[in-house]
Amino acid sequence: MALNTLVVDDSSVMRSIIIKTLKLSGLPLGDIWEAKNGEEGLRILQDKWIDLALIDIHMPVMDGEEMLTLMRENDQYENLPVIVVSSESAPGKIEKMLKLGATFIHKPFTPEILKEVIVAVTGVSNEYSD
Amino acid sequence: MPKKNLPLEAAAEVKYRSDDFTGKLLIETRGGLFSAIATNILSIDDPSTKQKKDALGEIANIICGNVVPSLGEGGREYKIEPPRSLNKDDLLKEEWREEPIAGITLNFNDGRVDIKLFVDGYSAAKEKKE
Repeated sequence: MALNTLVVDDSSVMRSIIIKTLKLSGLPLGDIWEAKNGEEGLRILQDKWIDLALIDIHMPVMDGEEMLTLMRENDQYENLPVIVVSSESAPGKIEKMLKLGATFIHKPFTPEILKEVIVAVTGVSNEYSD
Repeated sequence: MPKKNLPLEAAAEVKYRSDDFTGKLLIETRGGLFSAIATNILSIDDPSTKQKKDALGEIANIICGNVVPSLGEGGREYKIEPPRSLNKDDLLKEEWREEPIAGITLNFNDGRVDIKLFVDGYSAAKEKKE
């Protein structure tokens, strides 16, 4: 199964890093969509079939916590695998995201870490990897 | 060998605050590393100035997010502001005459990166103690 992936981060550089790392992970990827805040991310979720979302916490307009909260209130996305990718270190904030059913990856990260977490949260087969 | 006397190319800062501390992390590049960082992160040969600034800011953001939680006691909540690109005039301002609480210099090829961590009030407190 190829994973259609949504990457939500206000930094275009960070989105590029995440996408580059995804490609290096060797996992089977489908379409990759980018959004620069939670509001844009939710719009893409409404329009496209997404299998996995990687989202930042601190973003203007709508942050990652609000986006994730709204996703979990919607039947369509309540079980969508979400990985929060952030340099956030405040335990309280991370705990909130975990309670909303996300998995947390701390920046910086390696393709191996990203791959391990994606395999764990999506159940995608590892057989396509290098 | 340390590469002294290289002119400053670019700098970025990330400010942070908690209930007990405020401060900033500063990153400066010299000797071609401003461009090299963006080229490597984004995998592009000729990054624009904006891309270079964004890449440097993102590096500062990641370092700050990882370093600041080690200040003081564990478990504190920190707020980290978005990275800001600095020009030479910014660096000449009074606030930058503070002494960093910690710093590191990394030499790569012909260039150099200096990373400095500031805690507001540190210089004054140190002077008083002496």
